[in-house]
Amino acid sequence: MLEKLKPYLFLAPAIVLLLVFTVIPMVYTLYLSFFDWNMISPTKEFVGLDNYINILTNDTTKKVIFNTFFYIVVLILFNCVITYIFAFIIGYVVKRFKGFYKVAFFIPSVISLVVGSILFTWILNPISGPVAIIGEMFGFSIPNWSKTDGLVIIVLSLIVSWKVFGYNFIVLYASVVGVSKEIIEAARLDNISNLRIFIDIVLPMSSATGFYILILTIVQGLQYVFTPIKVITQGGPNYGSSNLIYQAYHEAFVVYKTGQSAALAMITLLIFVILLLLEFLFVERRIYYENS
Amino acid sequence: MKKFLLLMSLLVLVLSACAPTSGEEDKKEEAGSGEKTKIEYWHVNAETLGGKTVEKLVADFNAQSDTVEVTAKFNPDMYKGLMQNLQAEAATGNSPAVVQVGWAFLDYFSQNFEYVEPQTVIDKHFPESKTFLEDNFLPNIIDLAKNSEGSQVGIPYSLSTPVLYINKDMLKEAGLDENGPKTWQDVEKFAKQIKEKTGNYGIYIQEPADNWATQAILESNGAKMLDNGKATFASKEGIEAYEMYKKMVVDDKTALHIGWDQGIQGFIDGKVGMMYTTIAQRSNVQNNAKFDVATVKSPAFEGKEVRLPAGGAMLAITAKDEKEQKAAWEFMEYLYSVEGMAEWTKGTGYVPPRKDVAQSENGLKAFLEENEMMNAAIEQMDGVVPWTSFPGNSGLEAEQKLLDIRDEILGGSVDVEEGLKKTEKEINELLGK
Repeated sequence: MLEKLKPYLFLAPAIVLLLVFTVIPMVYTLYLSFFDWNMISPTKEFVGLDNYINILTNDTTKKVIFNTFFYIVVLILFNCVITYIFAFIIGYVVKRFKGFYKVAFFIPSVISLVVGSILFTWILNPISGPVAIIGEMFGFSIPNWSKTDGLVIIVLSLIVSWKVFGYNFIVLYASVVGVSKEIIEAARLDNISNLRIFIDIVLPMSSATGFYILILTIVQGLQYVFTPIKVITQGGPNYGSSNLIYQAYHEAFVVYKTGQSAALAMITLLIFVILLLLEFLFVERRIYYENS
Repeated sequence: MKKFLLLMSLLVLVLSACAPTSGEEDKKEEAGSGEKTKIEYWHVNAETLGGKTVEKLVADFNAQSDTVEVTAKFNPDMYKGLMQNLQAEAATGNSPAVVQVGWAFLDYFSQNFEYVEPQTVIDKHFPESKTFLEDNFLPNIIDLAKNSEGSQVGIPYSLSTPVLYINKDMLKEAGLDENGPKTWQDVEKFAKQIKEKTGNYGIYIQEPADNWATQAILESNGAKMLDNGKATFASKEGIEAYEMYKKMVVDDKTALHIGWDQGIQGFIDGKVGMMYTTIAQRSNVQNNAKFDVATVKSPAFEGKEVRLPAGGAMLAITAKDEKEQKAAWEFMEYLYSVEGMAEWTKGTGYVPPRKDVAQSENGLKAFLEENEMMNAAIEQMDGVVPWTSFPGNSGLEAEQKLLDIRDEILGGSVDVEEGLKKTEKEINELLGK
């Protein structure tokens, strides 16, 4: 009997944590999404599917969903594609100062994003920041990014990549350098270009890690980007920098519409489940796992 | 983010571990001396927001009172956090004696919680102070704490108003009167001339996530945000004032359109000639600006009177039993004394809501001589009006709509008249629900 229970006993701490911090809040969010509640009032009013209908017919939601995908594209570019290329370059192309590059890339990962956001607000202040002052000397000016649609998303994503780049880089670097040296040497002897080596050899052979970083970039990146949004733009201009995660926060903790927020969170969950399924269907199958 | 959260939770743990123990010790000491009525004072002032001044005021009060012992209790997350805690406390049947209520929660508080009007307590227990409120507060100020049914819910305590900060050096450089503009029409001209002569921006009007400054501009031109429970800001006057604001930002490009922190930073770095923001930013600007900086009163529109929304909070009495109510007023009378008000002003940067504090020797006389920038805010007290809070459950959503349209108008993507009319209609639909 005890033998049978043993594995569950070992699992218990993890399961309890998962229940308390993930499953129960999720169920409660689902429950809240059917009510109209302002977080202060003692009574909650049951409204059925009204919250969902409201959200799905709302122009702001469309804008926010579009922004979310825009964020995903930019984040994948900055935190996955470019990082991958950097890992390859440092691993195989650059010959000197490798240690320095690794450390330099990694340092920002240990700095809080709040600090980073404040720092970048100052550095990129379009009228009095250092970049603007240097730019002025060369006769160009910085656009008012925090109030410009599109550009604001790119800058906020940049701030996130400043933070995330180092970790993603180190992980990808380990995987890229792990590719068998003989294969690369052989290719070099045959005069294969670096580009072909990267695309045809390194990329497929490190794809398991690459896939992990891709998922991480999307799921974690969107949460990370919450911090600069909150610190710098509060979702503005006119929801131009809001994404699904920030919008759920905004509905709940700024305008106190808990029901709307919960409904939006459930929809977000659904979108992400679909995204992950698609990824597993089309990307995961082509992944090369060394040990399997 | 995770590290930040971890740090924050550690901080909270440490704080929560410290706070109650020190409070309990105080109580134990007092238990020996016996007869004092014990009451709680709930506030939102964190260490950086005048928390130390709260502690000092409470300690000084306790030291001089033979009858009352006050315990100050800090509520995180500002006025909303305090409301939530009050809700929880009310559910257990208890209540603190004195609470800070932010202006935005005036109606919500008075509709959902038990309170007693200060005058009632005074009349019952302190007949000698019968005229305290009349004598010491301007009528427009004391009215800030009246709800829509006309009940005097509390007494204004923390008060801030918008003022115009000016960079005197830059005004001189541009050949302008260094005493600053008096009217918004002048502001427009000043901004233009600053741009032409120095190449810098003329003015920054604060753009945080609220409509405080916008309300000040619109209402100073005779518009009304809210009239008889209906939004009315898209009147002729409202549109006219917003047109002027938009013209400076979009057409003339003499006004900076940017986030609040960046705007303040731009002014402090000497890249913007004037700045329209709250007096609560005074010490920040005063300590960091490297040029000759001053404040002037909120500009008026030519031939019109300024109407400046008040920021801040009031104190309300939520004590239920008579003994506690009596104690609550004794404490409040101390907080509203000239010395108490002076201490509060120095510690927080708010403007004293009562009269006679500014000129009095034991009040702020010396302080104001050193910090002249406070004067503009103190002189414009007669123009203070309530900060409009839209009634009902959709009030915050209505406020949000005004923010959305501000972004659209100043972004140049929508016409002022069309945008304001549309928003007004949407808000009235929300309020009608």
